[in-house]
Amino acid sequence: MRTQHWSRAAPRGDPAGVLMALRPPVEWLLSSALRRVAQRRPEVFERLGAFGDAAFLIAPDGSPVAFRLAPEGAAAGVQVRRRDDRSPCAARIEGPLGALLGLFDGSQDADAAFFSRAIRVSGDIEAVMALHNTLEAADLTLADLLGLSAPAGDVANAALRFVRQTAAAKAAWA
Amino acid sequence: MELVCPAGSPSMLHAAIEAGADSVYCGLRDETNARNFPGLNFSPAELKAAVVWAHDRGAKVLVAINTFARAGEIDTWRASVDSAAAAGADAVIVADLGVLAYAHAEHPDLRLHLSVQAAAGAPEAIGFYAQAYGVKRVVLPRVLSAPEIAALVRETDVEVEAFVYGGLCVMAEGRCALSSYATGRSPNLSGVCSPPEAVSLEETNGLLTPRLGGFMIDQVAPGAAAGYPTLCKGRFEAEGTASHLFEDPTSLNAMTLLAELRTAGVRAVKIEGRQRGKAYVARVAAAFRAALDALDRGETTAPYEARLTGLAEGGRETAGAYRKTWR
Repeated sequence: MRTQHWSRAAPRGDPAGVLMALRPPVEWLLSSALRRVAQRRPEVFERLGAFGDAAFLIAPDGSPVAFRLAPEGAAAGVQVRRRDDRSPCAARIEGPLGALLGLFDGSQDADAAFFSRAIRVSGDIEAVMALHNTLEAADLTLADLLGLSAPAGDVANAALRFVRQTAAAKAAWA
Repeated sequence: MELVCPAGSPSMLHAAIEAGADSVYCGLRDETNARNFPGLNFSPAELKAAVVWAHDRGAKVLVAINTFARAGEIDTWRASVDSAAAAGADAVIVADLGVLAYAHAEHPDLRLHLSVQAAAGAPEAIGFYAQAYGVKRVVLPRVLSAPEIAALVRETDVEVEAFVYGGLCVMAEGRCALSSYATGRSPNLSGVCSPPEAVSLEETNGLLTPRLGGFMIDQVAPGAAAGYPTLCKGRFEAEGTASHLFEDPTSLNAMTLLAELRTAGVRAVKIEGRQRGKAYVARVAAAFRAALDALDRGETTAPYEARLTGLAEGGRETAGAYRKTWR
């Protein structure tokens, strides 16, 4: 059974190992959502231009795993990788999960995140800009990311807004 | 005063207008505008739809075709003017004499604004553009003080538009060749100050090292605020001291000068930043809308002046040349 396989691949005391063992459903969920967006709105990824086949490693701070995003092309999808994964990719983007999600749906200003050093980028900066501008223009939401439709999608988007507002309020009072 | 906001994409245009912009300016997806970044800008079809969307809401769309046409490639610039006219744009923002002449001759009903890239800061220069090409508005270079602007407005019949927020350029705009030395490309001809393909960012133990064309242009200490990786914002060593020789990485915020600019007769105020995005433009447009509405009610802009903290380059704001405290 697959569940036995996952638990076999999760050595104790190794959070990355545990998360790597759980990666098939996460990869399936995120990749399906990405492909659905590409099918429903093919114009979204036209903005990537020459970077249609590029892959990006998205690494949330504090997470032992990262996400390898290939927005378009034959290998389109999302893969879960160990944080220290060094397999070839166009660029690496690191930062707090909330900020990364904010960049995904355009609710966070990417330049301000760069100025404040909240977001760190390395690799092909042109590819990063193409991805950022593509996402900015796409008007995607957390529901799109999770492949949810209403009402579950509305709940997910509202939850993300709540998390962000709470974090902002905490920062304001800190 | 008209609030003119940036739009790098249709969704940013929507955000700007919904937040209170009277006009938005945008560019086509090519080298004819000075924000020619990958994935940014509008296709001709997107521009057409955006103009309809904006007009339905009482807002205007101004199209920036403000780089300088290269010899042998002028059809690209002509095509952009034709696309803007076909889309029903309210004006085109132009710097190049040839592009101005083409637009004036081929689209006599198309309103012409003189781009900041033309660096026209004298009444004689502005008068020439008005007389020769029918230019109706000039976007002033960001090197004039508020009293200098007031004096200039008194000497010209052309509408004056002034930058009040965002990236600050203290060069003679349209004539800056700094990045050409490092990358072979320039904002004037290619539409980019720092071509992204020439930028690299390396971070080791929190120390950020930006490079342009392979040249190290700064080292930012762990936790310290960063600026754009452009040569003009770089830190260089001269006479044994490392400093920002050309300009500090900081953003213009002239909200405190809105009343003075309005009294001077400035017709429109402009927000920089087509490359920024929805979150940025929504926040800046809303703050300046509130400030301008307060002025209309005879109130002060003070309650809105701290609303944009956190957006500034290098984490710092300045009134720039408007106050010219360095002279």
